[in-house]
Amino acid sequence: MAGRYSILPLVGFFILVFAFFSFTATRFASATNIENLLSGFSFVAMLAVGQAFPILLRGIDLSVGAIVAVVGMIVFDLSLIFGVPGWLILPVALLAGAAAGALNGVLVVYVRLQPFIATLATLAAYRGLVYSISGRQLVPELSTTPLRDPWIIGLETYFDVGRFLGISSIVKLPWIPLSFVALLALVAVLQLVLSATRFGRDLFAVGGNLEGARLAGINVARVTVAAYAISGACAALAALFLVARLTTATEALGIGAELTAIAAAVVGGVSLQGGVGTVVGPAIGAFLLGVILLGLTLLGVSQFVQQIMTGVILLAAISYDRLLALRVRRAGPSL
Amino acid sequence: MSETTSISVASAWRLAATHALPVSIAIVVAVFAVAEPAFLTPDNLLGIVRQIALVGIMAAASTFVIMTGGVDLSVGPVLALAGLVAYFVLGAGYPVPVAVLAGLGIGLFIGLLNGAAIGFLDLPPIIVTLASLSIVRGAALIVGGPDLHSIRDQPIYSAIGTGSLAGIPLPVWIFAAVVLLLVFVQVRTPFGLLVAALGENERAARLSGHRTRITKMLVYGLSATGAALAGIVLSSQVHTASATYGPFGTELDVIAAIVVGGTSIMGGNGSVVRTVVGVLFLGVVSNGMNLLNVPIDVQLIAKGAIIVVALGLSARR
Repeated sequence: MAGRYSILPLVGFFILVFAFFSFTATRFASATNIENLLSGFSFVAMLAVGQAFPILLRGIDLSVGAIVAVVGMIVFDLSLIFGVPGWLILPVALLAGAAAGALNGVLVVYVRLQPFIATLATLAAYRGLVYSISGRQLVPELSTTPLRDPWIIGLETYFDVGRFLGISSIVKLPWIPLSFVALLALVAVLQLVLSATRFGRDLFAVGGNLEGARLAGINVARVTVAAYAISGACAALAALFLVARLTTATEALGIGAELTAIAAAVVGGVSLQGGVGTVVGPAIGAFLLGVILLGLTLLGVSQFVQQIMTGVILLAAISYDRLLALRVRRAGPSL
Repeated sequence: MSETTSISVASAWRLAATHALPVSIAIVVAVFAVAEPAFLTPDNLLGIVRQIALVGIMAAASTFVIMTGGVDLSVGPVLALAGLVAYFVLGAGYPVPVAVLAGLGIGLFIGLLNGAAIGFLDLPPIIVTLASLSIVRGAALIVGGPDLHSIRDQPIYSAIGTGSLAGIPLPVWIFAAVVLLLVFVQVRTPFGLLVAALGENERAARLSGHRTRITKMLVYGLSATGAALAGIVLSSQVHTASATYGPFGTELDVIAAIVVGGTSIMGGNGSVVRTVVGVLFLGVVSNGMNLLNVPIDVQLIAKGAIIVVALGLSARR
């Protein structure tokens, strides 16, 4: 099923773009810039990876940006107001994100709302919730206090790979942020879930043909709720690293992030028709967006042109997806 | 339990579902009127209509898009760009009608491009208009920068947003005119029928020899023109044009009004009149909550809950 979309063209395109900027933009291939890319876009990649699951079911999750804000605020409150230790906050935050995502799934399955509408409604509701629980407003004097808990701040760690390998005197390698390592682990686990477990197979089946999956005895409701819960949990993980980086949480955290996440997932080859896609693809898609945006910045292209470029990339990716689908149709159903 | 009872229960549900919105408006109005006497004053009621005129124009014009099973996310930046274009055309010394036409023209142009990508290339509407959301915002920022441009000494242009006729503000008249025009198009023209047919069964409509692709293109053109009109009214109302108007969330408000009104996001089922009812409902709720000093967080949560309940009801139908 995943065979229709090979990630090789995407990887090739990524290398091409990367090479292009390495030659045209000075300082693009520098250690500092790669560090910026890794730490800045691991966050986007986590959201995109999560977003792949609802899209695989022919759904969409517009609420991920709002979930990022809710989870960020929960971390802020628990740590600064209630003094909860960090090792306890981390699992609570992930669970809260998964629960927020599961609610989306429940609305889709049991209230029978269109995913677009259900997550639009929760986008508004979760944004509201952020203001309700905002520790910045409940205890105003805390709003300038940075988070200090080592478990949370510790997430913003960098590994000096060059020194570890003992080659730092020969070549200056970028330091690898923990968020990137976490992303790699996340991608590995979720890709395994997708391609080697029964849940993964059910997911493809439901996304490819909902009625067929139901008749084949697959518990469509459970698969759907789980897919949205995964999206929410990924948003929570992204929120943890974002909060660690900022050492605080704000009400505006993650505004508009859902659009970038969806863009990265589509660029990464997850078909909006459902049933086709990978987890690796969206992650590469997010870094492809990152490479293009950072490269353009280094070339001195205005931020406004970059916004235009984001749209153009999105159109190009979806046209390519469309082209592939057409080709498969012409080649006949045997594929 | 006899069969007749279960049928009557089912039909009662259906009855409640079809008339849920007008009934809810009545209930909400009654509650607010009791809780806050200022709610029912003519000034406040007129204020409500005036507040919803902008979203109303956009939602009415975007209804056909939803009816065809599509969605238009690009209305916010189109609103901003149209205001800017009108500002620059006025600044170049052209008369007001030219400025207004230029603003509407840019909207129509963008909408037709959206529609062409969706109708002729068969690309998914949500992604196409998401991309154009980004592209048009970037274009607006290049044209106008992030600053506010104030529109001075243009009494005729300013009258569009601030004037009134027979005691009713001009934006409300414009909203009413747009609605009447669109209702006519929907009920009395082949185009209106074709929009419904497209949403109901696109393949059947195409196989019957109808020009479905052109129709789709026009539908998006109409939606963006509505957004442009709202942009012109807004820039005239606040005497400024800016690339940052119509912020992220505008498109969600527009879509919310349409679907709360009862137009199905799956396409087919829907009408401009329902959208007007949806816009009124959301406007009444938000005005009432403002009067009662309900904090913004509760308002946002209430908005989400309203969408869920309204559509949960219509899903039972």
